[in-house]
Amino acid sequence: MPWELKSDRPIYTQLIEHIELMIFSGVYPLGSKLPSGRDMAQEAAVNPNTMQRALVKLEEDGLIITHRTSGRSITEDARMVEMAKTKLAQEQISEFLGKMQLMGFEQKEILTIINDMVQEMKK
Amino acid sequence: MLSKLLKYELKATGRIFLPLFLALLMFAGITKVIAPIGPEEWATPATISMITYIIILVGMFVMTFIMMIQRFKNNLLSDEGYLMHTLPVKPWKHIVSKLFVSMLWIVASGIIALISVLIITLEKGRLTKIIVGFADLYHQAFEQWGASIYVLSFEIILGILVSLASVILIVYASIALGHLFNQHKMLASFGAFIVLSTLSQFLFTHIHLPFGTAYFSNLHDIFSSPNDFLVTPAAMQLAIAYRIISTGILCAAYFAVTNFILGKRLNLE
Amino acid sequence: MSTIFECLDLTKKFGSKVAVSAINLKIERGQIVGLLGPNGSGKSTLIKLANELLTPTSGTILIGGKKPGIETKKIVSYLPEKTYLNDWMRVHQIIELFSDFYADFKPERAYDMLKSLNINAKDRLKTMSKGTKEKVQLILVMSREAELYLLDEPIGGVDPAARDYILQTILRNYNENATVIISTHLISDIENILDYVVFINQGQVVMTSSVDDIRNEKGKSVDGLFREVFKC
Repeated sequence: MPWELKSDRPIYTQLIEHIELMIFSGVYPLGSKLPSGRDMAQEAAVNPNTMQRALVKLEEDGLIITHRTSGRSITEDARMVEMAKTKLAQEQISEFLGKMQLMGFEQKEILTIINDMVQEMKK
Repeated sequence: MLSKLLKYELKATGRIFLPLFLALLMFAGITKVIAPIGPEEWATPATISMITYIIILVGMFVMTFIMMIQRFKNNLLSDEGYLMHTLPVKPWKHIVSKLFVSMLWIVASGIIALISVLIITLEKGRLTKIIVGFADLYHQAFEQWGASIYVLSFEIILGILVSLASVILIVYASIALGHLFNQHKMLASFGAFIVLSTLSQFLFTHIHLPFGTAYFSNLHDIFSSPNDFLVTPAAMQLAIAYRIISTGILCAAYFAVTNFILGKRLNLE
Repeated sequence: MSTIFECLDLTKKFGSKVAVSAINLKIERGQIVGLLGPNGSGKSTLIKLANELLTPTSGTILIGGKKPGIETKKIVSYLPEKTYLNDWMRVHQIIELFSDFYADFKPERAYDMLKSLNINAKDRLKTMSKGTKEKVQLILVMSREAELYLLDEPIGGVDPAARDYILQTILRNYNENATVIISTHLISDIENILDYVVFINQGQVVMTSSVDDIRNEKGKSVDGLFREVFKC
């Protein structure tokens, strides 16, 4: 998954989101080991300090566990991941809803459009 | 650190001088081999070889002079200075390493030139003659002066080296002074050289006079009676020692100026 | 955290031209700092003052609390904006020179990087292109374990691929206790690796800020802000 960083938001929040996505999508499965912060920083072409900060935040959120000797790994707690995933989904949806409201759609209308599109995609 | 600087200075200059020395000796040898009969019957190849030899000989001495200036100016005061001055080395070590290596090449050039002349002019038996001549001279001098001949020769060698150092250091000081100017650094260096040498000359003839009067009157006696000359090595020693000390003081002054500018007034643009 | 780089009323004049004008600046350890400003704003002058290649007209500059000198040169690794290497030398000879003079130089690191770039250590610098020479210089500078790296326009005249390589090299060799100060006017290329920026114009510090603050508070990139601040 390529690291695409936008220029108008703090880099570390973007790094957090990106790593979360990699966890949810299974690039880093539950319990798997993470590369070192330095390597990840290099891959993303960002400052190691910034990557460090992102990893610490993810650790606080419980998605990443730091072992004293063997570096970092993804949590094995599926519930934790599920929660974070839901949280991210909620954030995305509320942003989406906000935009739709700006365009003047009612909640019902929005649901209809979504339903239609889902039906369409099933075909 | 000084030894490391000397090592790199030798490497940087040796790659120019060693081939030159080799070429000089080679052409001296070639000239010797293809012109055995004597100058009257020299053939074209011998002439060419001789001319090449002379060109290299002159080139070698010009090169010692150019290198003396170039190594100081380019290596310390232009782009390469960015590296040299960011090395954790005190400026005086840079100056000393450049000075020593410059002196070394000048002395070596002199010796190589002498050897090459010997190669060309050498005929059978002449080398032994020269050696015998030297031995005679030595014995004569020893008989006249005794052991003080050693002191005297040591003094003469030291004197030559100190004079050589003063010539190089006055050039360094001039280049460093020129560096203080924002524009026309070369011209300013040249001006600085003229001012410095005039000043030094002035100091030599005036400031030292009271101290030197005794010596000068002494010297006058020596020259007016050439026979005494040989029997008063003490006067000679004194005269040379005086010369060494005064030149040494000049050296120290030039060195101090250069060191101050490199250490405290550096402005590499 | 302690201060690694400090300027106190630092001024440098060239004749009547003021290149650096009464700058006061403090940079803490452990960051990658961008020294950003248009051409001729005094970036190089500031860096050269830190390396004792220029003498301040007035004021003080301190590296780790000390004035520039032997002790600071031991801990500062400097990449000048021009090539300073002897043309006649071979790469391995220059590596020897660096190992001889800098106790913190790691030759194996340099050879590794040369290898990854397919540069032959036996080549003479004379035969190299300008871009390759610049890479060799960067490799030398980044092969030291210095406390402060001063990189003057490291991505100046190189193509985008080389630029990526240079940034990667800086990141790979950077350790968290060191400080890197990068001067450049090409901000968008390096802003992702910066912690902190110093905007400098006409010899004066216009603004200092952490990159996250700029993005958080102003909602724009450092590059965007730079364009706004230095609008012609």
